[in-house]
Amino acid sequence: MARELILSLDGQEIAVQLVKLDREKLYGDVEVEAFDEKGKPATLKVLAADGKTLIDKGGTALATVNEDGDSISRTELIALDADGEKIDPVESSFGKPNVLKRATADDYLSQMVKATYILEPSEGSDINFLYDHLSADQIYSFPFSYRGGLELDNAFLLGKSDTAFMVVGKQAELQFVKLNQASVLDSVEEAEISADDLDFGLL
Amino acid sequence: MPVNISNAKNRDAIVAFESLMPKRSIRYTDTDGRSVVNRKLLKTDVAHDLPQLLKKSRKIEKVADALIKSDPEIYVEDFGMFLSDTSRVYVTEKGIVHLIEEFEVVKNPDDTVRERRPRKKELQNINTDVPLKWTGKFIKKKDAIGKFIFTNKKQLVHVNGLTFDFLFDMAKTLQKKDSLLLVRGGEEGKSPVIMNRGGKAYNAFLEGRVKGDSYCLILHLSNMELRKPIEVETLEN
Repeated sequence: MARELILSLDGQEIAVQLVKLDREKLYGDVEVEAFDEKGKPATLKVLAADGKTLIDKGGTALATVNEDGDSISRTELIALDADGEKIDPVESSFGKPNVLKRATADDYLSQMVKATYILEPSEGSDINFLYDHLSADQIYSFPFSYRGGLELDNAFLLGKSDTAFMVVGKQAELQFVKLNQASVLDSVEEAEISADDLDFGLL
Repeated sequence: MPVNISNAKNRDAIVAFESLMPKRSIRYTDTDGRSVVNRKLLKTDVAHDLPQLLKKSRKIEKVADALIKSDPEIYVEDFGMFLSDTSRVYVTEKGIVHLIEEFEVVKNPDDTVRERRPRKKELQNINTDVPLKWTGKFIKKKDAIGKFIFTNKKQLVHVNGLTFDFLFDMAKTLQKKDSLLLVRGGEEGKSPVIMNRGGKAYNAFLEGRVKGDSYCLILHLSNMELRKPIEVETLEN
């Protein structure tokens, strides 16, 4: 059974379940097939900098290393905040009330979106109270962590009369720039090349 | 990264396009307080991967026995090597191939195949002779956030005094309207924005904010609407 998220709005508690929303569910997906000049199937692999080592999916790992290049176990890592103070872990947001606060469109637009969910009412829970508030163009937010960890994300609730969405993100590092903060142009194209998707439904 | 963009008067200028990152306030140290970093390393190459081990042993049980008795998946010369400057290549049984033909298999949300077609890699359209177009189509912020999910963001920054005025005016206009502006690419100004050759196509919306003598111009990129998928709607009906 999916975990229950409890939202507290104006003193009323609403139990909901999260259904992940992604592009594939809305528009489908695009897979790329490749063939050599003789029509034989080709697969994508990673080529290491030595020019000869070929690596398949799952052939790499991420390791945390210190300044000497020695691997450090996760249990030995100490997380510090910007002031150099040790960080206390945060709990998962499920199974406890999460108090909703009003948010503005600018707050929401300042987020880097990480995930989007549809809110479905849990059995016996009445979500209409939330729908009513959201349909009046209100946006609500609360600090959110799916599994618990070191820091909280921001969850924003948006919606219409019969649908509520939760968009999870993190505040972007927006910069208000002055005349003396001109940027320098570089002509390097970003390396992100993607095989998938074109326009919304126009796959 | 440069971007060529026009304003409401159809004047264009090349300005800088900067990636926006989420605010990070956490850093890690080891138990001695020394900084640590994450590095990508090699676990196994294709020559020592499961398909190769299966070719030698023929049966998965025999591969399991071999893994217990020795370490056939590990090539000690390379195992644990730090990886940087890697590239992606197409490979067939004969090795790396450079001449390939690509097809796109377009699938519906229910995983049925809708179309199979030769892959066409669209060129980027943010830094060409044709500027991104100020379409004059505004959408109120509250309407836009209820319709689209902005999956990526970039910030536009001036590169000299002239472009400061150019972008500051844009930001001021957009803040006053409390709206996002639809930005399009291409000769006719009807194409979605593509940042890299073969990359994703985005619907782009420009937002402007002004604070005193500074500005913040954000290009919100969306390739997804904020709506329920059809299967969820059908279940409810």
